[in-house]
Amino acid sequence: MTSSSRVLPQAAVLKWPALAAGALLLLSGCSVANSASGPAAAGGSLRVVLAQEPPTLEACESNLTSTGVVVRSNVTEPLIERNPTTGELEPLLATEWKATSATEWTFKLREGVKFQDGTPFNAEAAAFTINRAVNSKLGCNVEGYVFGDADLVVKAVDATTLTVTSPTPDPILPLRLSFLEIVPTTTSTTAKVREPIGTGPYKIEKWDAGQKITLSSWDGYWGKKPAYAKAEYQWRSESSVRAAMITSGEADVALGLGPDDNIGDLGVDYPNNETVALRLDGTKAPLNDIRVRQAVNYAIDKEGIVGSLYQGKHKVAAQLVPAGVVGHNPALEGWPFDLDKAKALVAEAKAAGVDTGAQISLVVRNAQFPKVTELAQVLQEQLSQAGLNVKLKMLETSQQLTYQTRPFAQDEGAAAVLVQHGNQAGDAAFTVDQYMLSTGAQSAFGTPEFDAMIKKADSASGDEREKDFEQIFDYQNNKVVQFANISHQTGILGKSKSVNYTPNSSSGDELRVSEMTPAS
Amino acid sequence: MLIYLRKRIVSSALPLVVVIVGVFALARMTGNPAALYLPLNATQQMRDDFTARNGLDQPLLVQMADYFGGVLRLDFGQSLRTGEDAAAMALRAFPATLQLAATTMVLAVLLALAVGCWAALKPNGVADRISSFVSMAAASIPDFWLAIVGIWVFAITLGWLPTSGVSGAGAWVLPIATLLLRPFGVLVQIVRGSMVSALSEPYIKLARSRGAGELRVVTHHALRNAAAPALTVAGDLTVGLVNGAVVVETIFGWPGIGKLMIDSILQRDFAVLQAAVLLTAVAIFALNILIDMGYALLDARVRPVTARA
Repeated sequence: MTSSSRVLPQAAVLKWPALAAGALLLLSGCSVANSASGPAAAGGSLRVVLAQEPPTLEACESNLTSTGVVVRSNVTEPLIERNPTTGELEPLLATEWKATSATEWTFKLREGVKFQDGTPFNAEAAAFTINRAVNSKLGCNVEGYVFGDADLVVKAVDATTLTVTSPTPDPILPLRLSFLEIVPTTTSTTAKVREPIGTGPYKIEKWDAGQKITLSSWDGYWGKKPAYAKAEYQWRSESSVRAAMITSGEADVALGLGPDDNIGDLGVDYPNNETVALRLDGTKAPLNDIRVRQAVNYAIDKEGIVGSLYQGKHKVAAQLVPAGVVGHNPALEGWPFDLDKAKALVAEAKAAGVDTGAQISLVVRNAQFPKVTELAQVLQEQLSQAGLNVKLKMLETSQQLTYQTRPFAQDEGAAAVLVQHGNQAGDAAFTVDQYMLSTGAQSAFGTPEFDAMIKKADSASGDEREKDFEQIFDYQNNKVVQFANISHQTGILGKSKSVNYTPNSSSGDELRVSEMTPAS
Repeated sequence: MLIYLRKRIVSSALPLVVVIVGVFALARMTGNPAALYLPLNATQQMRDDFTARNGLDQPLLVQMADYFGGVLRLDFGQSLRTGEDAAAMALRAFPATLQLAATTMVLAVLLALAVGCWAALKPNGVADRISSFVSMAAASIPDFWLAIVGIWVFAITLGWLPTSGVSGAGAWVLPIATLLLRPFGVLVQIVRGSMVSALSEPYIKLARSRGAGELRVVTHHALRNAAAPALTVAGDLTVGLVNGAVVVETIFGWPGIGKLMIDSILQRDFAVLQAAVLLTAVAIFALNILIDMGYALLDARVRPVTARA
């Protein structure tokens, strides 16, 4: 009996793998299949490492952190920008603006500005951008984030004059428009664009998907030429790896670092306007009793959490917005940690017939921010000590969102949802409308009186607006108690010694490369 | 051999369809992705628009029929997350994983053969004990821990290697070293056991009595018979790596299929997930056929009979 199959020579047992290994390495040339090989950035390049690759650079999605951090004020620009330090609105592509009626605002636009494709910036482009992002069926993220269902009437009066009319009086319309990055009229109106054209100091040179985005300085920019000729963005999910890239000199700037990342003196703290709080569902037992919600506030040792988990970098929070946001109430003090009082309140509620033994789901999103798991465990323990029955649910984003946003998951009892809220707009309306209105997308409940207060504040302006929102935060703490505020967070930005840059509250969402210079 | 191949391909088609249908159905059971792609304060109208725009308002069977129709036309749909062609994203990521997996496994097999043979020459000797300790440790160390320690030691402290990324030869070292350790540890133990058994066989004594040198006895006589089990295990380990070395790809920023699949699952990016799973499943079926063929080449007893005298 014979076989037609050829038998391998015996020595091939070792020869074949050896040849294969050699061939593999030679063929690959030690470069990865879908990577662009080349030397690391140096000289006139700024190397930034992000937490994730932007899903798109579409201008009308730039309110997404991972998109905005690359595109905003680097590739594209808005009409107006908010100074993250002073909170004031400052001119950019619009040089001045004023309310010309209760519902209409008029903007004068900057002359002599061109898009990176050579087309002129004018009122027609600004109107096109607003219509595309707000009034179209494109499904832009910024539409829901800033404007909701309200369509705007936009008119290019002449080349440098634009009027925008809202359906109801909107005293913060210019602030809302600061979220719209202006694109030329050649931009698609039927599909989103991954690589936009803008008027910014940098244009997109190359996007090696999965690997790197390179921006290069644009010679036709209307403003001051930036110090860096290029900006290269890479991304690493692990914050410790991002920190290591700074300490090893592989990157110049790293975002989203944690207190345990061993970045040393290359880490720069900055207020990132993010606040952490527990949102309590006051519609189901036992959280439907205000005494129990007060007990939750008393039971949480905020000072201890900030001091031990976050090395004192965060600040104890008394409200959902930090100082600097219009409407922040400086007179409010956080609930003190008083376990005995918490226990007494729970006992009092129980005596009044409240089912204080009913389960409370403590809903937490995995990896939402540094040390979130430890924080969740501390909260569970402290609430349990107060006599509450708390079950911790660590969920991935998609599942957690069914508890955080309407329509809420209905299959169980009361939920205490750990939320991280960032108010980057600088006005309390962006917080209160979502989190405190009884119909707010992220509000578990409210009251008619509270809703009326919020509606009034939304339509007020100036000092009256500020005072109205201050009262709202006070009322929430004393009469509604939907939130147990925990801490205002502090961001950590990794920065090599070769770069001059002072991060601000918007650095995590809008990293302006033109504000960075090489250290001499 | 052709008949054998044809049979394998036909028998692989059914599991492939089951995998695709399973992934399709299970992915959609995780819920509507609208919440992930719309602002937190999106209105119900916006959610409805999103659902309709992406065909997610259709019955599951209609969606599945559309998907299979697309697969037949080689149209795998668009990514919800990036708007890119899903197949292009999967095809772009897969070679990077394949390169990493192939290089790792070839090196792991070579090292394991050398160390395993060395250990088997004198069972319970010093070399055997050292290799057993090393291989057990290698097979037990968690890759996440190893990767972070590797970065700390070789990139930060010593500065010899880049922390991550894909630029230059140095970027390969830490990912491969991290991935290699476990297959190496497992294979050393397999090779050592097979070789101890093979070296005690009568034909080895015969070879030695005929004056064959020790190197020739090991490589030409014993290893040939001991290699088959190692090949089988190496095949399974390779399949695991081709599925995506998720931890290594995530930590080192390696643009492979494993990270793409995980991101697609977390983001409910159905089209990309389905394209990536289909591509990986096809590759694994192909790999299994190659392993079977390699096994047949090594061992005449399992070789398909194509001609008889």
